[in-house]
Amino acid sequence: MLLDKIAELISERTGCGAGAVRMDSTFKDLNIDSLDRVDLLMDLEDYTGVQIELSEKVETVGDLIRIIEEKKKDAGKGEETENAN
Amino acid sequence: MQTEICRLLGIRYPVFQGGMAWIADGRLAAAVSEGGGLGIIAAGNAPASYVEEQIHFARKRTEKPFGLNVMLRSPFADEVADLAAREGVRVVTTGAGNPAAFMDRWRRAGCAVIPVVASVAMAKLMERAGAAAVIAEGCESGGHVGETTTMALVPQVCDAVRLPVIAAGGIADGRGFAAALMLGAQGIQMGTRFLCAGECTIHPVYREKILRATDRSTIVTGRRNGHPVRSLRTAFSRRYEEAEYRGASETELDVLGTGALRLAVQEGDLESGCFLSGQIAGLVKRVQPAAEIVEEVTREAEQCLKGTSRWVR
Ligand SMILES: Cc1cc2nc3c(=O)[nH]c(=O)nc-3n(C[C@H](O)[C@H](O)[C@H](O)COP(=O)(O)O)c2cc1C
Repeated sequence: MLLDKIAELISERTGCGAGAVRMDSTFKDLNIDSLDRVDLLMDLEDYTGVQIELSEKVETVGDLIRIIEEKKKDAGKGEETENAN
Repeated sequence: MQTEICRLLGIRYPVFQGGMAWIADGRLAAAVSEGGGLGIIAAGNAPASYVEEQIHFARKRTEKPFGLNVMLRSPFADEVADLAAREGVRVVTTGAGNPAAFMDRWRRAGCAVIPVVASVAMAKLMERAGAAAVIAEGCESGGHVGETTTMALVPQVCDAVRLPVIAAGGIADGRGFAAALMLGAQGIQMGTRFLCAGECTIHPVYREKILRATDRSTIVTGRRNGHPVRSLRTAFSRRYEEAEYRGASETELDVLGTGALRLAVQEGDLESGCFLSGQIAGLVKRVQPAAEIVEEVTREAEQCLKGTSRWVR
């Protein structure tokens, strides 16, 4: 469902169809530049409640999701911090 | 004119001279700081040894605070970042990227870190990372640009962070300065105007191009490879643009762009040089000492601000 949220955010920000956002899509393919990445990051922090580091190494949507999942595990140790909105 | 940022940094006027790779050296920065503004040495892609020389040069010329602009994509970013901390440079500004990795090092050394940002989200991220202020730079500016204009960006950044905001992009006189304050900024950063400071050592061809520029003299290239840059329209920008339209590969574009700024600054090479400039170049009509520029824009801004009351009953 994190994928759905990311697809929704990207689609809203760039106008691409949400269906175009898949685990293996690169930000480059999606036309997401470095400023868009920061926007996305801040939105996702609000949504997940965890702080995410910005790294150039994150190239695909899947990379991003993995990072968030790890952070969530570290932060809450399984505790559900997601706020539904 | 005194705003909070003046007290924070110990400067007389809230006027920054933006870091400009290959251009803003110890000499220009010291002249601006002596004039009451904040001069900023640009590290660009230079190694730390060069930057160190410039810092020492500036210290010989002025006891006032000055800054260092660290280009995060430089191959020497790490050693330059260390140098800034070691030298205890009063202010560190950063361009093109996220300085979070260096932030602690600089803050421990007592540097005020003031990143250049082109979006609200970036400003928020920098506030969280411990920035002392942010420079909100609109796409009117010369050099690397975002998408949002100064007019639209500055008030939105001011609303989003508690830090002092410095406005940059498209400001070259007191009217722009006053307008920036109206948008909520506490000061301004200018680049293009300082290209025509007497202490600025650019090639005479470059200076002449700026002095003769009009409102439509600049163009943004490089959108396609993700590094949009504003520069004067020249044979070079035309070739680059054509290559972009033709769908040239990124490597090809990189090759075209490599070293192009140096060729403009040092050789005045209109064929292969990239003459970075902001849209406001059309307003720059004279070569003046840096201190006079700082003084003049401040006086003009004060006049503007006093004058605005006449519209209101
Ligand atoms: C020739 C030139 C070179 C620049 N180089 C840099 C740089 O190396 N690092 C940086 O952060 N900003 C750089 N800039 C941006 C300036 O620091 C400043 O923010 C900008 O010029 C403000 O807009 P203005 O040109 O409309 O005054 C450069 C600008 C120009 C015109």
